[in-house]
Amino acid sequence: MMYMYKAERIIKFTEAIREATDQMLAEDKNVFQVGLGVTYKNGADGTTGGLAEKYPGRVLDVPVSEHSFTGMSVGAAIAGLRPIVHHGRIEFAFLAIDQIVTQAAKWNYMFGGGNPVPIVLRIAVGRQWGNGPQHTQSPYALFGGAPGLKVVIPSSPKMAKGLLISAVRDPNPVIYLEPRWLYQIKQHVPAHMYSEPLDKARIVRRGEKITLVAYGDGLIAALEACDILGAKAGVELIDVVSINPIDYKTIQRSVSKTGRLICVDTSPAAFSIGSEIIAAAGKASVLKEKAIGLSCPPAPCPTSTALTEKYYPTKIEIANAVLHVLRKTPIKRKLSFEELHLAPQLTVL
Amino acid sequence: MAVTDTSRSVDEAFSQASLLRAYEKMSLIRIAEEKIADHYLKNKIMSFVHFYIGQEAVAVGVAESLTKNDKMLGNHRSHGHYLAKGGDLKRMICELLGKKEGLGRGKSGSMHMMDRSAGFAGSTPILGSVVPLACGVAFAQKYRKEKNITAVFYGDGASEEGVVYETMNLAGLFRLPLLMVIENNLYSVNSPIQDRRAAGYDIGKIVEGFGARYVRADGLDYRDVRKKAKAFVDYLREGNGPAVVECITYRHMAHSAPIFDESCRTEDVREKREQKDAIKLLRSELLAEGVTEEKITEIEKKNVQIVEEAILFAVKAPFPDKRTLFDDVYV
Repeated sequence: MMYMYKAERIIKFTEAIREATDQMLAEDKNVFQVGLGVTYKNGADGTTGGLAEKYPGRVLDVPVSEHSFTGMSVGAAIAGLRPIVHHGRIEFAFLAIDQIVTQAAKWNYMFGGGNPVPIVLRIAVGRQWGNGPQHTQSPYALFGGAPGLKVVIPSSPKMAKGLLISAVRDPNPVIYLEPRWLYQIKQHVPAHMYSEPLDKARIVRRGEKITLVAYGDGLIAALEACDILGAKAGVELIDVVSINPIDYKTIQRSVSKTGRLICVDTSPAAFSIGSEIIAAAGKASVLKEKAIGLSCPPAPCPTSTALTEKYYPTKIEIANAVLHVLRKTPIKRKLSFEELHLAPQLTVL
Repeated sequence: MAVTDTSRSVDEAFSQASLLRAYEKMSLIRIAEEKIADHYLKNKIMSFVHFYIGQEAVAVGVAESLTKNDKMLGNHRSHGHYLAKGGDLKRMICELLGKKEGLGRGKSGSMHMMDRSAGFAGSTPILGSVVPLACGVAFAQKYRKEKNITAVFYGDGASEEGVVYETMNLAGLFRLPLLMVIENNLYSVNSPIQDRRAAGYDIGKIVEGFGARYVRADGLDYRDVRKKAKAFVDYLREGNGPAVVECITYRHMAHSAPIFDESCRTEDVREKREQKDAIKLLRSELLAEGVTEEKITEIEKKNVQIVEEAILFAVKAPFPDKRTLFDDVYV
């Protein structure tokens, strides 16, 4: 059946988050939203605007006390409510790491089951021009090693909505890492409520020759690289989506087919998601040739555009990594200032 | 600070029957821990333990001010809190010994009491961390328009963590029914309070600076704790909050071992602790009120029997199946 996209349903990543939040607040009276500035007109980067008026007493601005309001939300979840906590930058969520990793993640296990903590932590992560070492960290892998947490990274508006709905309905603590670099990305998003699985990788493009694995902001760069290369390059592009647990099955199936693997990280390579996936492929001995990891350098992300220009893997670098593996001639193209430094405003399929 | 004294309920609270009930609980907690300590030493039990001996009047004084539907949370030293709230001694000792029947099926150990059927919402040894968690439980009570309150126990050491003060503000902002009970036993592990506090440190001024109510109670005196806790509980039920009761008490045993360690003591030396002991005090008050020695001894003997049976039950109880290691990581 042909589905005609309605123009008004082409919405931004942030609008998709807002829509999911709105629908979950309407669906379940136990759901409430807390976070700094979530009651503002353009609250939480536009993801909560207008909801405070629509749901009185359920969308709450809080003092700058990250440890305390996160802990309060964990406590409310222990008592059966379903909080959505927003941290506008992961650096501020770090102040509450005790409540996330030591309390929420362990609670059900250490009390022998039957003690769910149905909380969602929306944490904005990573790349943004002009924000430097303490406002743009990308520790995507951080929560991947904490059993008890589910961790997802949406990479498109459609995923953003479906994953958030699943996260709020899930009885476990879910870390929802939002790459702020993607906030302006647009996509057709269904108006109805739908859910995306929290533990499955997603095959974005099918191909036979090489497996390209990425997530979040790196996924968009990888998608653009695929467009540059064209379908004949045979790239199978996989969006990791879930990093706790990682869906090794889907990735392994692809790598078994292609025998070749490139992973894109938008963080330094040490202890990264890409390194973890390459290690797993090595253990499974499915590679025909050596894997490639593209990542940020082992340095904090600086502020000056003269330096950030070299920081994140670009679509050209990703495309050239594919061409290198396929023994083809690399592309020579210089990216514009806008392509390098401004958040993409693409409409994706 | 003026506190509305609901004198009728205070009279009832201090009737002979009520005091006997409190004594029965305090004595049970004391005897349970003494016998558990003995069992640990004789059987090399490999499970961390923090004994509550000496502080029983605080847990029981607060618990007797609550109803079954009120919630309680605690810390690493929470055997007394849990039992005072009506916990199950057998399941508690099973947990200490790592048994399948334990409160956390062998996953939690002594530092994590949890039993929702008793209104005990959990305990955690990360000190101040429990305070925002309890604030969240109180938040849920208010969100659901319940009339219940949440009491949280933490120590003078935990009181030095910033999140406690963030939470005083947050609970005040949302006017949450949160009773914060500071058990000031004068030590953080073995560091005496005077070595950790600025000269002018005044917790009462700090709490009142947040617009919250504060009262100091003699944590060795059951009646004092009961009276002050009840007044605050009533105040919180009216939709005010939060409130802080600081109970000055003595921790008889070492920080985290089934032994008496006197090395750090200056004021609270053993003779003084025994002389001012909370259980001895309530016992002598009961005798003065005309309760017979025979009646009190009967309670104590019954408690010894209950505890011995519970330990025997726990010793005989099976360990968890090794496959359960992976159970309940996720719901």
